[in-house]
Amino acid sequence: MKGSVIKYERDNIDTDVILPGPYLKIHDYNELAKHAMEGIDKDFHKKVKPGDFIVAGKNFGCGSSREHAPIALSYSGIKAVLAISFARIFYRNAVDGAFLLPIEIEESAYRDISEKDDLDIDTSKNEIKNLTKNKIYQMKPFPELIGKIIAAGGLFNYKP
Amino acid sequence: MAKTLFEKIWDSHVVVDERNGRSLLYVDRHLVHEVTSPQAFDGLRMNKRKVRRTDLTFATMDHNVPTSNRSLPIVDQTSAVQIKTLERNCKEFGIELFDINSPNQGIVHVIGPELGITLPGTTIVCGDSHTSTHGAFGALAFGIGTSDVEHVLATQCILMEKPKTFEINVVGKRKNPHTITAKDIILSIIRQIGTAGGTGTAFEYRGETISDLSMEQRMTICNMSIEGGARAGIIAPDEKTFDYLRGRRYVPKNYDELVEYWKENLKTDSNARFDKSFTLRADEIAPQVSWGTNPAMTVDVTGKVPFPEEYAKGNAEEQKAAVKALQYMGLKSGTPITDIELDRIFIGSCTNSRLEDLIEASKVVNGKKISPKMRAMIVPGSQHVKKQAEEMGLDKIFKDAGFEWRESGCSMCLGMNPDILSAGERCASTSNRNFEGRQGAGGRTHLVSPVMAAAAAIYGHFVDVRELDLN
Ligand code: SF4
Repeated sequence: MKGSVIKYERDNIDTDVILPGPYLKIHDYNELAKHAMEGIDKDFHKKVKPGDFIVAGKNFGCGSSREHAPIALSYSGIKAVLAISFARIFYRNAVDGAFLLPIEIEESAYRDISEKDDLDIDTSKNEIKNLTKNKIYQMKPFPELIGKIIAAGGLFNYKP
Repeated sequence: MAKTLFEKIWDSHVVVDERNGRSLLYVDRHLVHEVTSPQAFDGLRMNKRKVRRTDLTFATMDHNVPTSNRSLPIVDQTSAVQIKTLERNCKEFGIELFDINSPNQGIVHVIGPELGITLPGTTIVCGDSHTSTHGAFGALAFGIGTSDVEHVLATQCILMEKPKTFEINVVGKRKNPHTITAKDIILSIIRQIGTAGGTGTAFEYRGETISDLSMEQRMTICNMSIEGGARAGIIAPDEKTFDYLRGRRYVPKNYDELVEYWKENLKTDSNARFDKSFTLRADEIAPQVSWGTNPAMTVDVTGKVPFPEEYAKGNAEEQKAAVKALQYMGLKSGTPITDIELDRIFIGSCTNSRLEDLIEASKVVNGKKISPKMRAMIVPGSQHVKKQAEEMGLDKIFKDAGFEWRESGCSMCLGMNPDILSAGERCASTSNRNFEGRQGAGGRTHLVSPVMAAAAAIYGHFVDVRELDLN
């Protein structure tokens, strides 16, 4: 999985900035996508390309349980969020709805990766290649069952 | 084996135990609202599925309903559509709905307990992160997203990783329970453990101070568990819990038998072990005011807006976050909290919109007028709260002082309806999140207790409520 990086150097990026409250009324996913990250980055919608990754600090997706947050990112084209840690409800929403991959990375990798770096993520090897910087980072493996839900394509396709 | 209360409720709800601590749990109560449910119902329809237990599913509309005159049509068309959609879905799938004109309408976490839908020892889910509120009754209550809402509608079960257990002990007598409130206790806890302090855990609040709290105060505490990063927060039920629920509309007929069972079973064994533990001394805390853009960025009312380095204690990321927060909030380090002037006051939300909150706030307001430039709003948590408050004449106290007295709903807690802050406006709010833009793009939120908000309305700036005469 290849893509380039949009980086936010902050912790605690909450779902209210990922998708601000007033847009929770929108039912159409592509419309929702137009407002992704609007709370902290008005230009996100213009700069994001299909296949891009978001890189951020600790506790990504904290706050509200709105699944609109991973949906808006997903329909913007974001394939994975790489963060030092995730708030649990966001993590589950991302996986259960098969919207995007929440990937936990080391703090050193978070510091090393820059805006616009091209990454190649191989979840089968738990490896992230930074093609721009010619480096390899490890990702934290998905817990076994999370991995299975991801492989199944979401909670409804998962058969225990 | 000795077990905690959380583990007992978890274990008694396991349908299938998978490996690695992940279980399929049975859900006793599912609460549904208009914002996180439409896609879930679409999913059911698409796959020709039914709602498995309509008798355990209850719906209301709270997040985007207008809080102005309800006899008028809803102006915002997208809100109107979302509300109509919930009505249609509930009708099609046979779910009981407390609609906008129902006497039972209100914020989902206010009406659950109020109607006796919330019961000790049950599992409760809702597509809203503050579902943790119901833990005040000794229920295991989780907030979930829309995919999980669909899953619960279809199967009445939820697949979950088992959280670790985290004991939060609160000890010591508060000097004055009218000025040091449950809100100050929970803000103090989050301030110390951090917004991710409880990630992957379920809190159990215990200790003498927690036992001392009324049910409504306990709800304020459990409500904000999610702000400390926890999946849930729970308090063992006691006589107060049983008395609060007795006789409410949806409690089962064999209530007294249940109480006997609950008394036996719903407590943490004396020799049970928690994975983590934290103790707060309640006798040492002051009224709390948040200065930043997450609930851990909080200080005592007697304090000052901190310097980033002082707040961060050597953590570079925290320091950057503090700089950004101060910038967003338009605050200068070193400013005494009591010098911060406000434009708006919001008393409401599932954290602090219950009758007791309004009674306490009314004592501060009684006979006074709000500061001339201030716009202040009271949004009761439910129609029942509103009606009871009106029977006590609280509406009159607030209106005479210059407050707006509104219909029930989430309102300015999340800025989905017309109740929002304009960019740059500063608000003392009894809600639970001071995130950037939460109450309106560019709006600045300070989290406080109802009495602190009421006092700020009168004086135009924060004041230490301990210095007021609140006979
Ligand atoms: S009052 Fe606020 S926090 Fe509570 S349910 Fe409504 S929007 Fe969520």
